Formats: sequence, structure tokens, C-alpha cells
Amino acid sequence: MGGSGARPNPGITRRRLLQFGAAGLALGAVSSLAGCAADPVGATTSRLLHGATGGGLKDTLDAHFPVTVPDIARVRNLYETLLRYSPEYEIEPCLAESWERNADATVWTFSLRRGVTFHDGRPFTADDVAASVLRMCDPEQPSAYALTISKIIDRESSGALDEHTYRMVLTSPYAVLDQTMANYTLGMVPADYDPDHPIGTGPFRYESFVPGQRSLFVRHTDHWERTADFEELVILDFADDAAKVNALLAGQVQSVDNLPRYLAGAIEEQGAHALVSESGGWTPFTIRVDQEPFSDVRVRQALRLVVDRQEMIDQAFSGFGRVANDLYAPFDPAYIGDELPQRVQDIDEAKSLLKQAGQEDLQVELVTSSGIGAGAVESANLFAQHARKAGIDVRVNKVDSSIFYGDQYLSWPFAQDFWETRMYLLQAEACALSDSPYNETHFSHPVFEQLIHDAQREVDDAKRRTLLQDAQRIEYEEGGLVVWGFKSHVDAYSDFVTGFEPVIEMPMSGFRFNRASPVDEA
Amino acid sequence: MSSAKPPGDVGGAGEQLTTASVALAASGPRTDGRPRSAVRAWAWWLLRRVGLAVLTLWAVSVIVFLSTTALGDPVRAILGKDYEVSPERVAAISAELHLDRSPVERYVIWLGDLLSGNLGNSVVNGLPVGELIGERLTNSLFLVTIVALIMIPLAMLVALVSARFRGGPIDQTLQVINLTLAGIPEFVTGILLVALFSTTVLHLLPAVTVLPPGEMAWQRPSSMVLPVATLVLAIVPYLARILRANLLEAMDADYAELARLKGVPESAVLLRHALPNTLVPAVQVTALQLAWLLGGVVLVEYLFNYPGIGALLVDSVRNADFPVVQALAMIIAAAYIVVNLVADLLSILLTPRARTGMLA
Repeated sequence: MGGSGARPNPGITRRRLLQFGAAGLALGAVSSLAGCAADPVGATTSRLLHGATGGGLKDTLDAHFPVTVPDIARVRNLYETLLRYSPEYEIEPCLAESWERNADATVWTFSLRRGVTFHDGRPFTADDVAASVLRMCDPEQPSAYALTISKIIDRESSGALDEHTYRMVLTSPYAVLDQTMANYTLGMVPADYDPDHPIGTGPFRYESFVPGQRSLFVRHTDHWERTADFEELVILDFADDAAKVNALLAGQVQSVDNLPRYLAGAIEEQGAHALVSESGGWTPFTIRVDQEPFSDVRVRQALRLVVDRQEMIDQAFSGFGRVANDLYAPFDPAYIGDELPQRVQDIDEAKSLLKQAGQEDLQVELVTSSGIGAGAVESANLFAQHARKAGIDVRVNKVDSSIFYGDQYLSWPFAQDFWETRMYLLQAEACALSDSPYNETHFSHPVFEQLIHDAQREVDDAKRRTLLQDAQRIEYEEGGLVVWGFKSHVDAYSDFVTGFEPVIEMPMSGFRFNRASPVDEA
Repeated sequence: MSSAKPPGDVGGAGEQLTTASVALAASGPRTDGRPRSAVRAWAWWLLRRVGLAVLTLWAVSVIVFLSTTALGDPVRAILGKDYEVSPERVAAISAELHLDRSPVERYVIWLGDLLSGNLGNSVVNGLPVGELIGERLTNSLFLVTIVALIMIPLAMLVALVSARFRGGPIDQTLQVINLTLAGIPEFVTGILLVALFSTTVLHLLPAVTVLPPGEMAWQRPSSMVLPVATLVLAIVPYLARILRANLLEAMDADYAELARLKGVPESAVLLRHALPNTLVPAVQVTALQLAWLLGGVVLVEYLFNYPGIGALLVDSVRNADFPVVQALAMIIAAAYIVVNLVADLLSILLTPRARTGMLA
């Protein structure tokens, strides 16, 4: 736990100078004296401390309503879902060993894993699943990923068939229920669940929690899959990036998520390791398709053509990301963004489109906010630079997070938003249909909606893929999203812990801390 | 939020406050020409000042209430992206904040609750505000106390040494150090200290405060060192420069010159004649610094992950968590008022003219 003090003296690099200003020079020149780090916690129990990004009084341990990054880290360790996404973003069994659907995908039957116990020792049964599903599908307040099924679930007919079998009955066919049930906000809780004393089946059980500060969990020794090597897990909130990185370098935490990307190289020199993983997360520009001048599809295509995508990734994501093609969900088997012609910056084409549309001296306002997440403001400023080459005058209006997500959220004519990795159909349900809760672009396309609704009902995988690909082509040609890149997760961990691996779905190895092991300081 | 130097012109603030408090002290009701009893005079002065303090707090409460209700739609701010999909929670939060009533009614309800010690519940997580604030307020007060205990004697010492050896090499050196430190923002000082003692060069001290559940800051003395050092380094140069300027002014005064002519040694001139005359502005400036330390060191709290009220206030404003913002704003305002009251009281006690003026 404590620093060994025997770290090699890091040399001076330009990056370190930038990192610490003049101090990098002054301090790097001082030879590193061997000191012993003050041990922040008793070394009697093995304890893993993780520094999570953000958080605040909004923090909650509620299985179905995580809000902040620390929340997600916590619910991932307290609770588990029936199915889950593998590190490669494929669906795999978790609390359900197997599942099947009837011919028209209106009845789904889940066979539960046996021998799973809750943190208080009670066995996990189908009755708990029934209660959990009712809770996450509460019509008044559905969980984020349960929006669609909360509208089509038949609450009367769904329930336990026996102790280890749960049947969900739907009022209309839904062929991708498995994709839905694998999402992290749909954790299984006991029938008498109380969020103030949270109990789940996850690898760590609740011990104490202070919103905005920290949580202390103890390992669940009866975990069905893998009992954690660490006896205790502490997740700390960090409002400040510098504090988070300092805590890692001082040996006070063993891992941090969402490392500032520009530090990835610098921390390698100081006894920590960057963990980089591809993801399907994106920070699009959102263009209202129902408002002048954007209602003219040529103007939207022009805006998509002014972007130098690689430069945006280099600048806004410090190079940690890959170019996208105005389509989302790159890990969906039906994704065709790589097959369609890759849009690149084409100023001449953009100018000629604008000329055809009679918008040669286009002036637009782009609304951004630091609350959208890392890289948002940087990419907005870059967009203004790129657009200027085509004669478009973009005024970047940076507003406070509370304004951005306030009254005018989802009605900004031209703005940004952020999304994490999802499968295509689930993402389209969330943002591309006229009744979607987060339709930033006001996209409302009858043919597209028909394709999506058909795909929801189509049980044949090949046919469903065709439907989804046709839908993607429509978005590629007519949509209001500029999807310029997919970001990578960049996290970090210290020399004293091992077992983290890249995970597509979310940062920090998917927050699966039961797979982390201490490293002996020998 | 980031300035380490609260407003107040150098040296002058103290003087003005002093004359004001003297004037206040001298203006009691006089029924006859006889001197009044000391107890009665002081009681009268205190009564007036406490009355004024209450009036000020009431004015602050109106401003705080008006400004928090003008923060936009709190329900949207709290729920963010979830506003569109959770009508249930929208209704619950509106009820918690009495958003269906008129602003005047809401103010009366709120003030009544405040006076009865009920700070309400956070609209963000439903926990009682008192519970959320309690531990952090204690931590902030503890930090201020430790910083004060170090900074006041240290600033005094630096100023006295500078003034005693005015213009000499020691004074010059101290002035250069002071000016350099005064020019560095406190969070930069903090980053440098962390790099020096925790991460890059040495591994002697914790870089951030990690408090196990239920522990308070003073149970982790090692993690207090860097935050305290950062704040001391941020404030002492500023204080020392003001104190030195005041001391030099006093050293050039007629009475100091007369003392020298009478053969009093220079050290005694400094300590016996100049110093007492500079205490009043010193008290006033220090008081303002202390009040600012309580809630104004947000960046330092962030950098060291120190659980104080400054960072909590920023978080609450960001979340539009009215009850917490209101409670913290009132606490910080009260702190300023109390500290000023104590400073004025000390000023009168340290000023013979004002002391006797109380009884005149």
C-alpha cells in the first residue's frame, strides 16, 4: 500500500513541464530521495481505493437510478443484472444462466443461476427478479434503460414460474430484450429492497456511504463467480482532476477513472499505468432538422463536411479515439458506418451545397457547456474554426451546465450532447424517434420509424440486421447528428494492483473490482 | 472564487473601521454630564451592535432568498437529463420546495424554519441539510483555526523583523519572498507543494485528504499539513506587508521620533511605541481574512479533496440545491458578521481614546 520509494527518478520531458509548469523543471532536477509514503489506511486489511470522477450530493446507491460516475462505479459492485456485456460488448449470461423467447418475441423465459446469494445470505430467486423488474419498470419513474419495456410489459402475466425460472410477458413483440436486460441500471435486488440499506448479489456489499465523498464496501465472500481478492473497496469522489491524479501518484488510491487524457503519457513515468480501451461513447453535434436553416438537408450535410474529424480527435480527445461516420453504435453487429463512404473534410463540396441552399453567408450559434463532458467545449471551438474555412460564421456560446440541461435542453437549434456505448436499436429508441425522450435533433422520419418498429418485432437476426442497416442509411443521408468520433476510455492504476483489462462498455475495466488483485511489494 | 486576497484597501480599512467603531462607541444616550458606568456603556454598545448584526443578517436572508429563487427552474436544474422522463420526481421536488406558493409565502415559511433551526432537506438527495453541512462545517472551522494559529504570529514576526531592519538586507530578502509568494495563486502553491512532498520528489505526506467513514479531519494530522501550508503561504505575505507598512508609518511618527530623542533603544521604540498603535488595523485585516477562509478556499478544498463547506457550496449551486445553498450562505454571512463584531470589540479595547470614549 505505501510507496516503496524506490521509483526511478523520472527525467524531464516537455509533457512534464507542461504538467507542473516550472515546478517540473525545479523538481525534476532534484534527485528523487527515497522516502516512505505515509500509509493512508491501515495495512491490516487489504483495501482497494478507487478515485472516481465527479459526484456530489446527487450521489445515490439506488440500483436502478445511478446518476454520477461514482454512482455507476458503486452500483456495478453492489448489484448484478440477469445478462451482461462482456469486455468485447457481447451479451453473456450473468444471474440468468440461459434465456429463450417464443416465436414472436412476446414471451421471454430466463433460467436463473443456482446457488447465488444476496449479501445478507438469502438465496436469490425468481420472486426477487419479479420484484426487481416491477421496480425498474415503474410507469411513474422507470429506470433509464427500462423506458421501452416499461411501456410494453404485461405486469399481470409476468412473474416467477418456479424458484429458478422467471417469465416476462410483453404486450407487443420486442426482439432485443436481451440487449436491454444486460444494461447496468437493471440490477437485481431482493423483493424487500430498501435503497437506504442496499442489498444485492454483487461482489461487494454495502458498509457505509457519504454522498459526494466516499463509500466503503466489504467483499461478498459468497459471490457465485469470483470472490474479490481485496477485502474492502473504497470509492472516493474527486471533484478535481489534479487531486485525483495526485492521490494516485502519492499512493493514496490504487486506481482512478477518466484520467485527463493529456496525462496518459506523463503518469507512466511516475509509477502508474494508463488503461486505454476503445468504446462506443460519442459527443455529437446535434442539429435540429425542423428549424431554418437546418431543415434544408444540404445545410446539414455541409456542416458534416466541414469537420476535420481526425484533428478533432487529436485535439479534443488528445488522440484517444477513432474517427466516426455520422452513425452511432459501432459495436452493434448491424453497424455499417465502416462500410459507407467515410465523410472527410471537403470544404469545396460544403461551399457548393451551401450555395445550392442559398446559405452562402450562413451564421449559426453553437451551444456548448463543460457539463457535457470531456472534449465537448474543445470540439465546439474547433468546429467553429473548421466551419470558417467554408465561410460559415459559427458563434460558440458556452453556457453553464444548469442552463444547458435546463429549460432549453432538447430544443437548442444547434448544440451538443454526450452518449455512452449502446446497441443501435436501443440508441435509436432513446434519441431518434419522434417519441424518444432525448430527441435532440427533432428527427421525425416516417420511413425510418417504420424500420425501427419492424426491427423491434423482427426475431430473425439476419432480417433485423437488414432493417437496421436501412435505418442507418437514412440517418447517414438525412440525419441531424454530426458524429465525428468515438472516444476511448482512459483510466489509470498504480503498480500495486493488477487485473484491470480494457472494457468497451464503461471505464475502469467496467468497474469490476473483484477482478483486481494486490501486487506484493517484493 | 479564486482570489486569495479579499477586497479591502491596504491599511486603510482598519483605520476607517476604527473611527466608525469609535464613533459608535461614543454615541450613547447622554442624560446628564456625569460619566456613565462602564457596564452600562458596554451593554449599550453591545446591544446596538447585536441589533445591527441581526438587521444585517435579515437583509442578507432576503438577498439570499431572492437570488436563490432566481436561479432558474430548480426542478430542471436538479433532474437535468431526467426531467423529461420523470414527472413523478418533478412533482415531488416542487412540493418539497413549495413551488406552488407565492415567493413571499415561501420566504416566510423558509425564515420560520430557519429561526426554529430546521434547515430543511436537500432537494437533491433528501437528506437533512444539517446532517450534510455539520461535518464539513466542523472541518472548515478546524482548518481556519489551525491556519489562524500559525498565520497571525508568523505574519507579526515577519513584519516586526522587516520593520526593525528597514531597508537592510534582511528586509529586502523578506520583501522579495513576500512579493513572490503574493503573486502566486494559492492553488499553484498547492500544486507545487504536492509535487514536492507527495508525488514527484518526496513521498512524505498524503496528497489528498482521505477520511475513513466517521473520521474528522483532525484525526488525520498528516493530511492537514499541505492544505494548511498552502493557505498560510497564500495569506502571510499579504498580512505581513500590511503590518510592515503600518509599523513603518508608526516608526516615522512624531512620538517615535521623540522617544528616540529621549534615548529609547530602537527595539523598544518598535515594540513599545509603534506596535501598539498598529494593532487595530492588524486585527481588522486579520478578521476579514479569517471570514474569507471559512468559505472562500474552494480551490484548495478541491485540490486536496478536503471536505469543507466551500466545495459543498459550489456543488450545491451547480445542482440548484436551494436548501443547502441558503443554509451555507447564511452561515458564511453570519461568520463575517460575528468576526467583524469581535474585531471591532478588540479595536475599541486596543484604542485608549475609544475605550475612554465609551465612558465619556
